[in-house]
Amino acid sequence: MEISYLKNHHLAQFLETLRLFGALHGPTVSEAGVASFAPITEPASLRLDYGRTLIPPKKYLLPFRENLLQFRDGSYQSAAPAAPEIVLFGVHPCDLDGIAYLDRVFMADPPDPCYAARRAGLTLVGVSCAPDDYCFCSSPPGSAPCDLFLTSCEGGFLLEAKTSKGEAVASAARELLLAPPSPPPTEASLECCALKPQDPQLRFSDHPLWERFAELCLSCGACSVCCPTCYCFDVREYSGLSGGGVRLREWDNCLFQGHGEVAGANFRETRLERLRYRFLHKYCGFSPLQGVVSCVGCGRCKAACPVDIDLRELIAPGVPDPGGLS
Amino acid sequence: MTGAPLDPHLPYPATLLDRRQLSVDTALFRVAPEPAGLGALSRLVPGQFVQLSVPGGGEVPISPADLPGADGTLELCVRRVGHVTQLLHDAVPGQRLGLRGPFGTGFPVREMAGSPVLLLAGGLGIAPLRSLLFHLLRHRDEYGEITLMYGARQPELMLFREELVALAGQGGVRLYLTVDFAPQKPAGDFSCAVGLLPGLLRGFSFDAGSSYAAICGPPPLYRCLVGELEGAGVAPERIFLSLERRMRCGIGRCCHCAVGQMLCCTDGPVFRLSELQQIPEAL
Repeated sequence: MEISYLKNHHLAQFLETLRLFGALHGPTVSEAGVASFAPITEPASLRLDYGRTLIPPKKYLLPFRENLLQFRDGSYQSAAPAAPEIVLFGVHPCDLDGIAYLDRVFMADPPDPCYAARRAGLTLVGVSCAPDDYCFCSSPPGSAPCDLFLTSCEGGFLLEAKTSKGEAVASAARELLLAPPSPPPTEASLECCALKPQDPQLRFSDHPLWERFAELCLSCGACSVCCPTCYCFDVREYSGLSGGGVRLREWDNCLFQGHGEVAGANFRETRLERLRYRFLHKYCGFSPLQGVVSCVGCGRCKAACPVDIDLRELIAPGVPDPGGLS
Repeated sequence: MTGAPLDPHLPYPATLLDRRQLSVDTALFRVAPEPAGLGALSRLVPGQFVQLSVPGGGEVPISPADLPGADGTLELCVRRVGHVTQLLHDAVPGQRLGLRGPFGTGFPVREMAGSPVLLLAGGLGIAPLRSLLFHLLRHRDEYGEITLMYGARQPELMLFREELVALAGQGGVRLYLTVDFAPQKPAGDFSCAVGLLPGLLRGFSFDAGSSYAAICGPPPLYRCLVGELEGAGVAPERIFLSLERRMRCGIGRCCHCAVGQMLCCTDGPVFRLSELQQIPEAL
């Protein structure tokens, strides 16, 4: 794919061009210092120097709460949303990997109509990042799945269209794009320390770290809320006063005690079991996605955990193997 | 047809036809799906489940108590235990319902052909096993000896008692009933053994090497029964367990129902014991 060059002083115009393809959203930082993806009404509110947003971009595809069905007179109808066209600008490679994982879950047969509608309306423009202490990104540079990717370089960005949608955007902005300077400017280096799929037996091991984590864990669920690939949901149904009502889904959280409940039993009553459940899902995968690591290394869970639990300690090289793990 | 993909969340409509009270908190509901659902339901295998919707309440996973009748009607044995099931118990015939499914794996009725089959049911666990039993009896010649052992807390809570006794009387199935507790009864009333299912199984002689076992019951029952069966010599590959988990979506997405790395809604709810043995939290 052809690579072109966007100078920094053309960025504002480039953003205006993006608006042709949908409402422009991107990273912003509030007065309180909280980074979030939000509508970009003026270029000055865009903060490409952000570290990581508190809530990952999954909110654009899986809103915290959304209607699945409506019912009236005892009959259900689909409530698939009229999805807005949104251009999400400035997404880091880890979050793009997160969306690619969610695509595997929700676009598999049968596709989820609500997710599919929102996904079709979303144009993803990625941007390279500078890792900080919390990052353990697992995507090699340049591999992030998106429509258009901008790699930060001296004086501007190298721009690569990765889909036909991305090409359409690049084409609309062609007057702003130049041939890449020669020799190519040095790309910001991105260290890759990909996490390998883990042995599920680690979950059932007597590793002493499990006990330590469980003693610390508050079951607050922050690690799951802020995770770009945590998608588990609960389904609820509510009646209105006039007889109709809605069935909705909302984010659930495997750290919460009710997650493993059935009538008369709870299969994950202890924090230890719930921490292991999350570990198993992230690093080993469920059913068709067995062996697929869904941790993208964004570092949010580590940054958000109020008691500094870092599951990677379990699998980091150098942790003494207590035996029985392999 | 617009060619739009079907919404996997959308139930097909169904109507409550009638109900038969089986115990103080459990009833058998006969449900008629509208034609849209008949095709899918005709592929139901004993042990699979459907998602039953009661508008205004929500959805619950139910394993039907029999395969659909010739007219497509479905029998659902449901205990009043939560919000949705309470609404179902309060419903009157004609109530609009919804169904999705069938979902998941069923009992391997083809694989069981030619072999003796031992059905072990505890409490409400009789519902999916009744479906399996009826299937085996409808194809009686294809199977070896069929035995049903059914335990309930007390005689009043034993579901389908007269029906099962009548079936046993026709000679197709050996029936063993047991209750945990039995209050004094006047002479002449029906009675059965007092004791727990594992105890009943311990005293039972059968061809363990060639038999299949199918178990469904409350979670604590499984460990005891599995121990007895393995002790008797039934191979773990021939022991099938129907597990219960909180299945919200039925299509492998909501992630409440993982059993190890498998999902109860798509890889189960019927599992081979050999699939579960490395998963300490499965049972």
